[in-house]
Amino acid sequence: MKTGFSVFAAAFIALGLSWCGLVYAPIQQLGGTKQTVVLQSSDKWPMQRTGDATLGLQVYRANACAACHTVQIRQTGVVHTLSITDLGVHKAVDFKAFMTSLMAVPELMKCSNSIVGSLNQWNGSVPKLLFSGEESAMVSMLGDKLKAVGVKTEARVETTGADIARGWGLRQSVAADYLYDTPVQLGSLRAGPDLANLGVRAPDVNWQLQHLYAPRSVVKSSTMPAFRYLFSVRKVGAQPAPDALALSKAFAPSAGFEVVPTAEARQLAAYLTSLKANVPLYEAPFTPITATK
Amino acid sequence: MSDENSSCCNLTGSEPTATRSSAPMWIIVVTLSLLFFGGLYLDSHSGWFDAKVYAPYNSAEKLEVFQPKSGTAAAMARGKGLYEGVCGICHGSDGAGKAGQAPTLAASEWVTAISFNRLAHIPLAGVNGPMKVAGKDWNMAMAAMGAALPDDDLAAVLTYIRTSWGNNASAVTADDIKKIRAEIGRSPQAYTVEQLKVLPE
Amino acid sequence: MNPTENNTVCPNELDASCRVPLLALFGGAAMWLVLSLALGLAAVMTFHQPDLFADCSFLTYGRAQAAANDLLLYGFTIPAALGVMLWIFSRLSQAPLALPMVPVVAANLWHLGVLIGTVAILIGESTGHPWLEYPRAAAVLLFAAFMLIAVTAVATFGARLNRELYPSHWFLFAALLWFAWSYSTANLFLVSHQPPRGVVQAVIGWWLANNLLFVWLALVGIGIAFYFLPKIAGQPLASSGYTLFGFLTLMFFGTWCGIPQGAPVPAWLPTVSAFGALLSVIPVIALGIVAKKTVCGAKVSCLGGTFCFMKFGVLSFVVSSLLYVSEFCPRYSRVLDFTWFNFGVTQWQLLGFATMILCGAIYEILPRVMARDLPFPKLAKLNFFLIAGGTLLFVIPLLIGGLEQGIKLRGANIPFADASAVALKFLRISTTGQLLVLLGALCLLLNVLVMTMQWKLGLVKSVIAAVTAPLKTPEVKS
Repeated sequence: MKTGFSVFAAAFIALGLSWCGLVYAPIQQLGGTKQTVVLQSSDKWPMQRTGDATLGLQVYRANACAACHTVQIRQTGVVHTLSITDLGVHKAVDFKAFMTSLMAVPELMKCSNSIVGSLNQWNGSVPKLLFSGEESAMVSMLGDKLKAVGVKTEARVETTGADIARGWGLRQSVAADYLYDTPVQLGSLRAGPDLANLGVRAPDVNWQLQHLYAPRSVVKSSTMPAFRYLFSVRKVGAQPAPDALALSKAFAPSAGFEVVPTAEARQLAAYLTSLKANVPLYEAPFTPITATK
Repeated sequence: MSDENSSCCNLTGSEPTATRSSAPMWIIVVTLSLLFFGGLYLDSHSGWFDAKVYAPYNSAEKLEVFQPKSGTAAAMARGKGLYEGVCGICHGSDGAGKAGQAPTLAASEWVTAISFNRLAHIPLAGVNGPMKVAGKDWNMAMAAMGAALPDDDLAAVLTYIRTSWGNNASAVTADDIKKIRAEIGRSPQAYTVEQLKVLPE
Repeated sequence: MNPTENNTVCPNELDASCRVPLLALFGGAAMWLVLSLALGLAAVMTFHQPDLFADCSFLTYGRAQAAANDLLLYGFTIPAALGVMLWIFSRLSQAPLALPMVPVVAANLWHLGVLIGTVAILIGESTGHPWLEYPRAAAVLLFAAFMLIAVTAVATFGARLNRELYPSHWFLFAALLWFAWSYSTANLFLVSHQPPRGVVQAVIGWWLANNLLFVWLALVGIGIAFYFLPKIAGQPLASSGYTLFGFLTLMFFGTWCGIPQGAPVPAWLPTVSAFGALLSVIPVIALGIVAKKTVCGAKVSCLGGTFCFMKFGVLSFVVSSLLYVSEFCPRYSRVLDFTWFNFGVTQWQLLGFATMILCGAIYEILPRVMARDLPFPKLAKLNFFLIAGGTLLFVIPLLIGGLEQGIKLRGANIPFADASAVALKFLRISTTGQLLVLLGALCLLLNVLVMTMQWKLGLVKSVIAAVTAPLKTPEVKS
C-alpha cells in the first residue's frame, strides 16, 4: 500500500462489504417482519405481551439476566415419523410376518430390516413408532399400505436436537419469536437453563417469584444469585399481604416479617411466564400434539 | 541498569523497516482453494438467502417437504381456524349458537348423525324453513356459506364441528365433499328440512 | 536519557510532544484496567458464593460482568491502543504530534464517557446489547473523543517526511476507520429511539462484537507488535508483501465472522459467517508466520521485558484467533455454543493478546516520553509473568470446562445441574488466574501513577523555583 488513501480505500471496501451483507441486508430482510400465522391455523404469532410482561423485559435487561440464561432453542434436525395408532383386526403376534410381506416391494426394501426388527417382541401396545427418517415418500407409501388393510397410522413431523430432547422447547427459535422484543435478549451463556419455553414449563407466577427471591429453596443445586433486592422485607400488618411469598423455614425472614415482591419483581415474573415457543410455524414445522376434547 | 536502558541502546534511533518480499505461493493457493470449498458450502447450506429457510433445512424445497400434511391433528387445527373465520360468527366459537341467529352445533343431531351426508348439504346449498335442532324450533335461512370453500377446507371444518364440544362423530374427507358437490350441481337451491330428510343417510 | 540519534529530528522532541496526551490516555487506561479486573473478580465470586450480592443490585453478576467487559475493552484497550498509535505515528512520521491539546481533551472526554457508561450499567441502565451496554450519552462521548484522536492521528500521519508507508501504518490507519464506522453504525441502529424490530438487533450486535474483538484488536495489536518486534530484535520485518497479504485477508475475510451457528436467523447468515471464519484462518497463519520469521535469530535477551510481552501477545493472537474461528464450524458450535468456552476465548483475545501487547508498548514508550526510568522496573517484569501466567490460568480452565459443559449439555438425559457443576470445578482455578492478572494490572497502575506523580512533582518544583528565583534587576538607563 503506497498511500494513506489506498489503505483507507481498502478498509472502506472491506468493511463496506460486510456492512452491506451483515447489517443492511438483514435489516431489509428481517427488519420489516410482521406477525406471522401459526402453521395450519389462523392464530397469529407472536402475540403481544401484557403491560406487565413488556415492562418485565426491561427488568430482565436491567439485571442482565441474559448473562447467564439464553432464550433460544436450537434444533439439529427434523424427521418424518410413522406410528401405528390402531391395529384394527390384526394381532400383534402375526404383525411382524405381515409387515415383512408388506415391505417386500423395491421402494420399501431399504428400511424393511429396521422396521421389521423394531417389531421384535412387540406386545401390541399403541402408539408404536415404525419409522423415523427424512424420506416423506416412505412414510406416505407405508401409511397408505397399512390404511388399506385397516391399520390406523399417524404420520408426524418431529424435531430433533439436544435442547428439544431436554424438554426446553418443541422447535427451534426463529426470527418471528423475537418480533416484539426491544432489546432482543438472546443470551450467550447457559449458566442457567434456557428460558424460551419457560411460560409452558413453569407457568406459576408464584414459583417464579420464589425462585427469584431464593433460588435454592426451589432448585437445590442452583447457582443462581438470589435477587433479594427485588423484594421488600417488611413487618406483617394486621393480616399478611396477599402476595407475600410462602417460604420454607431456612429462607423465610425472621418472625413477624414477610417478603413482598416489588413491582419490578412482579413485572419480571410476568415476563418470564409469557415466554412461550410451542406453536409450529412455516419456517419451523412440527406436528403439534392436539389435546383431545 | 534496567533492561529498558539496554534495549534502548540497541535502538540506534532507526525506525523499523520491512524486507520487500511477497507472500509465498502456497498460501495463495490455499486461500483460493478455501474460497472454492467455501463457495460450495454456501451453495449447499445457505438456502439461497431465503428468509424462511433456517438451519437445519438447507433449502426451500427441503422445508416444503417437512410441512406436516393433513393428518387428523393438522386437520383439526386447520378446521378450527376456518370454522372461526366462516361459521363461528353466527354459530359461536363454542358451537353453542346464538338465539335469533343460528342454532347450536354442539349436541346437534344434524351434526352428530352417523352419516355426514345430510350435514354436508347444508353449507354447500344452504337451508331454510322451520327446523328442529336439539329440541329447539328454528325458522331461519342460512346461505350456502361453505360453497366457496375448497373441498379439503370444507372437509376440515365439518370434521372439526363433528369432533368438538362433546360431539364424537366420524371425520369427513375431501373426496366425500367432492362427490356431494358433484351431486348437487353448480347453484343449488337451499334445502328445506323435508328435502334434507329425503337424502340418503 | 535516550542516546543522541543520528536523525535530523531528535526523538526526544518527538517523545516530548506526546507526553501529556499519552499520560492522559495511559493513566486513565491503567485505572480502568484495574477496575475492570476487580469487577470481573467480584462478578465471578457469585458463582462460588451465590448469595454474596443478593442485597446489592450494583454487583449482581450480570451487571458486574458487563461492566467489567466494557471497562476492559473501552476503558483500557481502546485508549491505550490510541495512545500507542499516536506515538508510533509520530515516530514513523519523524514529526512531533500534531494538534497536541486535542488528544488531551479527547482523553478526558473518553474517560468521562467510560465513567458514565460504567455507572449506567451498574445502576441498571445498560442497553442490553453485549459489548454495547453504554447508553447513548456515554456512546456519544466515546465517539466524539475517538474522532478527535483520529483527527490528530491522521494529521500526524499526513505530516510524515518519508512518504513511504511502513506496515504498521496500514494496520493502525485502517483501525481508525474500522472503529469509527462499526461503533457509529451499531449505536445508530441499536441505541436509538427506533431500533429495527426483532432479531436483526442481535445480528448487528454480533457484527459489532466481531469487528471490535476480532478484527479491530488484530489490526491494532498486530500493527503495534509489528512496530516493536523488528525494532527490539534489531532485524527488519520479515516480509512486507506477506504482511500486506495478511492485512488484506484479515480485513476482507475477518469481518464476516460473528453470527453463531445455531442463531435464530435465516440459514444464510450463519453460513456466511462460517465461510468467513474458514477463510479467516489464512490471515492469522500468515501474520503469525511473519512474526515468527521476524523474531527468528534475534539475539535479544528478554526476561520479562517488552520483547516478551510482544512475543506472548502475538502467540496469543494466533492461538485465540484460531479458537475463535473454530467456534463458527457448525460441528463444533453444537457442543461449544452457550458454554464458558466463548467467554474464555474472548478473554484470551482481550487479556492475552491485546493487554499484553499494550502493556509492553506502554513500558517501552513511557520512559522515552517522560525522559526518565520506570519507577519500579522489577514490577514491570513481574507484570509480564503475572499477566501471562494469570491469563493462561484464567482462560485454559474455562476452555476445558466449557468443552466438558458442552459435551454434558448435549446428552439430554444428563441433568442440567451436572453440566453446571463440572464447569464450576474449573471456575475455581480460573478465578485464581483472574487474581494474578489483577495483581499484574496493579503493577502497571503503580508504574504509571508514580511516574505521573513524579513528573507533576517535578513540574511543581520547577514552577516554585521559577516563582521564588530572585528577579534580574533591570539595567538602569543612563
